[in-house]
Amino acid sequence: MALQACRSLIALAPTALLSLYPLPALAQTTASREPIKLGAVISATGAIAGVGLPEREGILLAQKTLNARGGVNGQPIEILIEDDASSPDVAVSKVNALVHSHKVKALIGTSGIAQTVAVGGITAPLKLTQIAFSGLGPAVERERTCVFHITPSQELNARALLSYVRDMKASKVGVLHDSGYGQVVWNSMKDLAGEFGVTWSQVEKFEIAATDLTTQAAKVRASAPEAVIVISTSPMPFRNARQVRLTAPIISVHGTATYDYVKAMGDAADNIIHAEFLIAEDPLPHQREFVDLFQKEHGRLPKHFEAAGWDAVMSLAQALKTAGPDAANEALCSAMRRPYQGVMAKFDFSAPDMGGLTLASFNYSKLVKGKFTRLDYSAAK
Amino acid sequence: MNKLRRSLLLLLLVLAWALAPLLLSRHLIDLFVFAGLFTIGGLGVGLLLGQCGIVNLAQALFYGIGAYSSAYVTVQLGLPSLTGFLAGMLASALIAIAVGWPVLRLTGFFLALATLALSLIGNVLFFEWDWLTGGTLGIGGIPKLSIFGFAFDTPERVYYLVWPIAILVLLLADNLVRGRPGLAMRAMRDAAPAAEVLGVDMHRLKTAMFVICAMLGSLAGSLFAHYVSYISVQSFTVERSIAFLLIPVVAGSASVWGIIAGALFVTFIPELLSGFGDIHQVLFGLALVLVVTLLPDGLIGGADRLAQLLKRRMA
Repeated sequence: MALQACRSLIALAPTALLSLYPLPALAQTTASREPIKLGAVISATGAIAGVGLPEREGILLAQKTLNARGGVNGQPIEILIEDDASSPDVAVSKVNALVHSHKVKALIGTSGIAQTVAVGGITAPLKLTQIAFSGLGPAVERERTCVFHITPSQELNARALLSYVRDMKASKVGVLHDSGYGQVVWNSMKDLAGEFGVTWSQVEKFEIAATDLTTQAAKVRASAPEAVIVISTSPMPFRNARQVRLTAPIISVHGTATYDYVKAMGDAADNIIHAEFLIAEDPLPHQREFVDLFQKEHGRLPKHFEAAGWDAVMSLAQALKTAGPDAANEALCSAMRRPYQGVMAKFDFSAPDMGGLTLASFNYSKLVKGKFTRLDYSAAK
Repeated sequence: MNKLRRSLLLLLLVLAWALAPLLLSRHLIDLFVFAGLFTIGGLGVGLLLGQCGIVNLAQALFYGIGAYSSAYVTVQLGLPSLTGFLAGMLASALIAIAVGWPVLRLTGFFLALATLALSLIGNVLFFEWDWLTGGTLGIGGIPKLSIFGFAFDTPERVYYLVWPIAILVLLLADNLVRGRPGLAMRAMRDAAPAAEVLGVDMHRLKTAMFVICAMLGSLAGSLFAHYVSYISVQSFTVERSIAFLLIPVVAGSASVWGIIAGALFVTFIPELLSGFGDIHQVLFGLALVLVVTLLPDGLIGGADRLAQLLKRRMA
C-alpha cells in the first residue's frame, strides 16, 4: 500500500519537474584545435539557478568573443560547463571530474557560497586557480589563496548598504532579511550600526522559502523607520513591504538587482535602491562594449551576474597569456594575483580577500518602471 | 552446481569491487563512494518501507544530525572522529524515540506527511541554528577520517571504508529480516490486525525500526561529513529525503540487497543524464517513471523476471 503510494507520487514527478524547469540553455563548448581546457561549475538548476544561468551566459559570450579574437596567444579556449543543481555535494563531484578526469587548467565558479567552500577543498591543495562567483566566506577561505572572488564579501555588501543609508541622513533603520543569504549579510551588518551612526528600529528575519511576510513587513513599518534594508534572494519581502504601505526608502543588495527579480516584484519594484555594479541602461565607459555585445547576442540588457561570468573568463585569459597556457597551477595562480579592470568593477586579485572590491566598486541604482536608473551617488565620497 | 555458480559470481563481484579503484577514474570512484553512503542511509528507509510499510521522508534530518554531530565534535570541540559518530547516532536514536513514539501511531499518508514535516522542521532548524550548524555558510575544515593513524583522505581509501561498512549493515539487516523480527514486521505490514492478535507489539516494533533507520542515516551523514570536509544546510533538504526514499522504491522495496542497485541508480543515472544539459532533471524524472511503470517490482524484481525468462527460453 505504502509502496503503491510512493509509485503514484513518483508518477507525478515529471509534471512537477517541468514546472520547476528553467529555460533551456544551449550546449557549452566550442570545438577547436588544441584548445586550452577550462572548467566551470555553475548552478543552472535548483534554488540558485537565477544566479547561475546568467553567469553561464556571460561565460559563453566571453568564450565566443575571446576565440573570435584569436584565443589566448593564438590558442582557443574550451570551457567545459557543468551544472551543480545548486548542491554542494554535486559540485564536489563535478569538480573532481573536471580536475582529475578532464585535467582542466583552471576552474570558474561556483555560484553559491556553500558550493565554493565545498569545492575549495579540492582546488586549494592543488593550487588550482578558481574564480568563484561568491564573495569571501568563512575563515577557512582566507587560507585558500588561489580561490579568487569576483563578488563582494558579505561585510562589504553590508557596508555598501549602510553607506547609502548614512549619507541619506537616515538614522532609524528597519531590516527584513531571510534566514539564508540574508542571515549571512546581517551577521556582518549588525555590529556596524555604531560605525555608520544608525540604530535598528526593527529587525525581522523570515524563513528562506516563506511566501508571505506581511506580518514581518508590518512590524518593520510599525517601528517607523527612516529607511528599510531588505536582504533576501526572494521578491516576496518587496511585495509585502509595499502591500503594508511601507513608504520608507527600501535599499537592497546586488543579488536582487536583476530583471527577473524586477519582473517578479511587479509594481512593488518601483523606487527600490540597489547597491550593485552594472546599470546597463546607462553603462560606464568600460562596461559599454560588453553591454553592446550582450545585447547583440541576446537582444536584451545584461546585469552584473552576466558580467561576472564574462569577467571570470577574461581575467583568467589574461593570466593565461601572462603565465603561458602550459604554466603549472601555482604559476597561473601567481599570474592571477594582480589588478584587473573588469566589466563589473576593477578587481585586485592580490588583495587579502582575493577580489579587491571596495566601496568605490559599487554603483547605485533606483528602479523606475522596471528600469534601473543610475543614482548620482558614490559610497567612496 | 548452482551453489558453485553463485560462489563464482560472488568471487567475481568481490574481485571487481576490489580492483575498481585501480581501473576507474577518480570521478567514478567518487560517485561509488556516494553510492555507498546512500546505500547505508537508504537501507534504513528501505527496511521501514519494504518490511513495515512505513513511508519515511525524514531521513535527511538524521543524515544531517550525523553530519553536524561529526562536524561539531571534531571542528569545534577537537574530539576524535569516533566521538562524532557516536554522538550523532545517539542523538538520532533519542530524537527518533521521542518523535517516533507519538508519530508512529499514524498510518498511511498521514504518517508519510508527518515524516515529511519532520524533515522540513529539521531543515529549518539547520538554517536557524547557525550558531551550531553555520547556517548558509556551513562548517568547513572537517578533518578526514583517521583510524589508528591511517587517514581516509582520498576517494579510493574512503571507497574501501564505506563499502565494507555498507555490506556489514546490509548483512545485519538481512539477518534481522530473516529472523523473527522480520516475520513480525511483514505480518504487521500485510495483515496488521492478525499480527496484533498474534501478540506483535506493533507500536514498539515500528519505533524500534524507526530508531534503526535514524541511526543508519546518522552513520551515513557522519561518513559524508568526513569525506567532503565541508557541510552546509543545502545537503540536508527535503530533496535528499526524497532521494533516500527513491532508493528502495526503485530497487524493489522488499529486497535488502537490492538497496545497492537503488543507490547506484540515484547516484549514477543523474550523472549520466547531466550530459544532456539543463533538461537532466526532467530526464531523471522520466527515468523514474519508466522504472516504476515498467518494473513494478523494482530493478531487482525486473532482473529476477528477466533471469526466469532466460531460464525458460534456454530450457
